[in-house]
Amino acid sequence: MDTRTVGPLLELNKAVPSFEESGLPPVPFSMRIMPGECVVVEARDASRATMFADMCAGLVPLDDGSVKFMGLDWATLKDREINALRGRIGRITRRPSWPEFLSTHLGIALQQLHHTNRPLDEVVAEASRLSEWFGLPGLPVLRPSMLSDSDLLRAACVRAFLGRPRLLLLEDPLEASPVDLENPFLGAMTDARDKGAGVIWLVRNNAIWQAYRQGVTSMWRLADDGLVAVRTG
Amino acid sequence: MSAAPREPGADRDPVLEADTASRNVHQRFVLHEWIRVKLAWLGRLTRHQAWFLLIMLGASWGVVFESFRSHSWRRTVRYEFGVTLNSVIGGGLIATLFTGTLTGVAAVSQTIYWLGFAGLAKMTGSILINVVVREIAPILVGIMLLGRNGMLSVTELGLLTTGGQIRSMQAQGLDPFLLLVVPRTLAFTVGGFTLGILFSFAALLTGYVISRISGVITNPVWTFFYDVVVAMSHMDYLIIPLKFITVGFVVGLGGCLTGLTATSEDNLRTLLPRGFSRGLLIVMAVSVLFSLDL
Repeated sequence: MDTRTVGPLLELNKAVPSFEESGLPPVPFSMRIMPGECVVVEARDASRATMFADMCAGLVPLDDGSVKFMGLDWATLKDREINALRGRIGRITRRPSWPEFLSTHLGIALQQLHHTNRPLDEVVAEASRLSEWFGLPGLPVLRPSMLSDSDLLRAACVRAFLGRPRLLLLEDPLEASPVDLENPFLGAMTDARDKGAGVIWLVRNNAIWQAYRQGVTSMWRLADDGLVAVRTG
Repeated sequence: MSAAPREPGADRDPVLEADTASRNVHQRFVLHEWIRVKLAWLGRLTRHQAWFLLIMLGASWGVVFESFRSHSWRRTVRYEFGVTLNSVIGGGLIATLFTGTLTGVAAVSQTIYWLGFAGLAKMTGSILINVVVREIAPILVGIMLLGRNGMLSVTELGLLTTGGQIRSMQAQGLDPFLLLVVPRTLAFTVGGFTLGILFSFAALLTGYVISRISGVITNPVWTFFYDVVVAMSHMDYLIIPLKFITVGFVVGLGGCLTGLTATSEDNLRTLLPRGFSRGLLIVMAVSVLFSLDL
């Protein structure tokens, strides 16, 4: 599996999602993200936003068109290649994502431990640093059900930014979040972009991203007729 | 000029009429098409009836295949294997030894007593091997595995599936089959063998101790175990471990698959009875299969 290191990071080329599988409108979606770009997608419906992120991660079957990540079409890859490629995506999702049989620190590091050969100490050190960056007292070791919603949100941020993700699919962590999360989140996002990551930031409310207005590359709206470009100027 | 009043039921829907007319068009009978349709119907019916069995067969091959690939044994998979193995063997050790002891009191000592009473003491070893070790032990160990850990897997994976966490794992590139099903099934396999051997040993030893205390036998313990070992045929050395291994394997796999195939309509009230009945059926089926003229 040869990934492309130049050119678009993510490319939706007239991708028509299966309505039965996703609930997304079966219309062509076209979008392109280059490394280091930040694209804001306004989606009023949270479940649609999740499904759109799923489509970007190759989880939604397509009726037509293609979705390419790092130059590779999800539809043409084998399962192992798909999983390896998804290991390079950091994601914050509104869908329940914490397995209760794992402690939170394992849930945070699971993706890195599974997909990389990085030494455990290194992963733990980075996770601890990110935990403190996002306002946690340290790497949380309790079960997810023992953490408050805001701490779980911070832990989700740690998980998404851990390692060196090439693509970040962020389903608006700033909505109904503690105020002190905003600056660490924007800082981490800028840092990831500086390292070449592309960001899709799904928001429900346009007011959320105004503080980052200068950093946003383009703005889209997820509507019934697909993705609609919105002028940001 | 006045229009005649419309009679009730006289309204004609042109769309429906056209649809009905198109269905009534006479179609030419084509033999191979008729056979294809009938075969498809038969296939659908068979697959529906044997759905879980087919999944079990496919997943069994998948587990065996993945377990021999070095790339499958990533640290997350090894971690899950270790945790499950610890839970299956460490958690079930006392219960297994206790059940083995009770079986020794209830079955082994009684067998020794009645065989001695009937003058068939020479058959003691053979009967203990065939009844206790080969038939009772795999079933009881399978039921204990199912109750202690199999149902836990059903519940955990079922809740992960219905809650959406499995989908989130897939979004991170974590294959639930590789990360959860393979290590858990293999841990159950090792656990089934280990607990089965310990159960058999505890049952035989307790039976000997009870019989010795009550004066039914006077042989030393070494002689008693020697008689049991001598009574084993070459095939027993293969069948008995294989039965323990298979029971552990299918209980682990069945529990994981029952959990992973849960739908959004499932909850604990539907998952647990289904998991238990499937598991029990699987244990009995394995026991019967191995007893068929072997």
